[in-house]
Amino acid sequence: MSRLDWFVLGGALLFVVLWGLYKGRGATTGEGYIGGGRDHRWWLIGLSIIATQTSAITFLSTPGQAYVDGMRFVQFYFGLPLAAVILSITILPLYHRLKVSTAYEILEARFDLKTRLLAAGLFLIQRSLAVGLTIFAPALVLSVLLGWNLHVNILLVGTLVMIYTVTGGTKAVAWAHSSQMLIIACGMILAGVMTAYRLPSHVSFSDALHVAGGLGRLNVIDTHFDPNNRYNLWSGLIGGTFLMLSYFGTDQSQVQRYLAGSSVTQSRLGLLLNGMIKVPMQFLILLLGALVFVFYQFHTPPLFFNPGPVKQVMASPDAAAYRALEVDFVKAREGQSRMAEAYVTARHGGDAALIAATKQQLQQAHADSEAVRRKGVALIEKANPGTKPSDTNYIFLAYVLSSLPVGLVGLVIAAVFSGSMSSMSGEISALGATTVVDLWRRLIGGSQGVREVWVGRIATFAWGCFAMAFAEYAARLGSLIEAVNILGSLFYGTILGIFITAFYVKRVRGGAAFYAALVAEVGVIACFKFTSISFLWYNLIGCAAVVGLSWCFSLSQPSGAAPLTSE
Amino acid sequence: MNEPMNKDVPPLLGSWKRIYAVVLGELLLCILLFRLFSWAFS
Repeated sequence: MSRLDWFVLGGALLFVVLWGLYKGRGATTGEGYIGGGRDHRWWLIGLSIIATQTSAITFLSTPGQAYVDGMRFVQFYFGLPLAAVILSITILPLYHRLKVSTAYEILEARFDLKTRLLAAGLFLIQRSLAVGLTIFAPALVLSVLLGWNLHVNILLVGTLVMIYTVTGGTKAVAWAHSSQMLIIACGMILAGVMTAYRLPSHVSFSDALHVAGGLGRLNVIDTHFDPNNRYNLWSGLIGGTFLMLSYFGTDQSQVQRYLAGSSVTQSRLGLLLNGMIKVPMQFLILLLGALVFVFYQFHTPPLFFNPGPVKQVMASPDAAAYRALEVDFVKAREGQSRMAEAYVTARHGGDAALIAATKQQLQQAHADSEAVRRKGVALIEKANPGTKPSDTNYIFLAYVLSSLPVGLVGLVIAAVFSGSMSSMSGEISALGATTVVDLWRRLIGGSQGVREVWVGRIATFAWGCFAMAFAEYAARLGSLIEAVNILGSLFYGTILGIFITAFYVKRVRGGAAFYAALVAEVGVIACFKFTSISFLWYNLIGCAAVVGLSWCFSLSQPSGAAPLTSE
Repeated sequence: MNEPMNKDVPPLLGSWKRIYAVVLGELLLCILLFRLFSWAFS
């Protein structure tokens, strides 16, 4: 990185921390610290919700996903607008009316203390592990591609986040989110514009899209129903809606964002703003990945973008075979570039038969180079036993470092840091709030006031330290990381089921809901261990199991629900 | 506990139903445009 890149990166991070500290000053009560003063406007809530959901890996992985697999990943987000509308009608007004500080308070009013603690506990477990990965994954990519020390990277992100999150609480987090979204938007928009600009001068934007589409990278919508297919229209609309209902309705890291609204109206508008922005935003990030894919039709990419596992091959007896494959790959890609040029020229000529013929030749050349790449990946797998070699997370940043101009590299890396910091701050703030409200305040009977602010700061600091420690440990987890990544879907369905039962199955009382949740959770984990069902469906399975089982269990109890009142 | 709590009037469009329709309409429009996009460039 050049001096200008370092200056842009350092300036952006300093701005985020100082802005968060400045705007977050003045919390004197527990409610002010955890609830952010409940005076946030809709646009601040909306930005904060988007920033919490948007982690650094969103920017690293999503373009790579389009490069490797096409744009169908956008279907994952189709449930979000549906969930935003459903939550705006149902749970959000209820949270405001009951003036709760965490989502789980409501469960004690409806069921009992143990059900509240179960839901809070499931959240603390899954979120505290996930937040560690939130900072570990981008730190790993940056350390591999830039040669930065992994531990220093984790420590730097964690420390910067904790400076303003521990000090200012929810308000500091929300205002820092607004500055992080500004950096992220600038970085990604400029990267997209520059990628389109850096295509060969005779390749128009339309040509680029035809090349990407011809090679299967613009497959946005897949209407074929297949429960084992992770991303299609139906898994997005059905499984995705349940996932988003659970994430935005019952995950404290999101609930805390919109509970900081000054009114139901402001909170609703903030949540709906997210519902409107997220799908187009993900589409544009994927389109950027498709453009990077087109860029590499006219420039030769490395055989494998992740240099870490390649080093292992080079140190193995297969080093010579891998080098030979690299030579074959360069030759295959040069042939592919010629075919891409021929296809673009044919398109400009307008001869339909020639366009179809050159397109077919381009597809064949791509298949040939992919066959060489697969042989290379097989050697990498052999040299790294027990791992699934993947370079998806490395493609975009490798492209940025090699192909974007000085200054923009620093801005994109600042966007990656901002994504990492925005998720971590929202999550440790929510972990701290749940610890204070659902454990300290409820079990120990701590009073609100300055003392609770300090308890909140200590809890947030402790969770931040735990996240950094887990991020360090994650480096040794290897292939288990993928399992931890889908941890959310293992728990979300169960938590959502508890909430849906609370709202809509009136005859169910505390014990039935509690034991149904335990059985459902075992069932979801069994699905994960013993079936090939895609993880998005776990949300539906877990939710349906809790609702169904709790109703069955309630048949042995006296009917009638406890009235839902404010505590 | 499911009684309507729509006393707040949105600052735009006059009712929440219209705002929800806009959000869901945008999703539908996105799906249709994405489908067209896939078809046009495949």
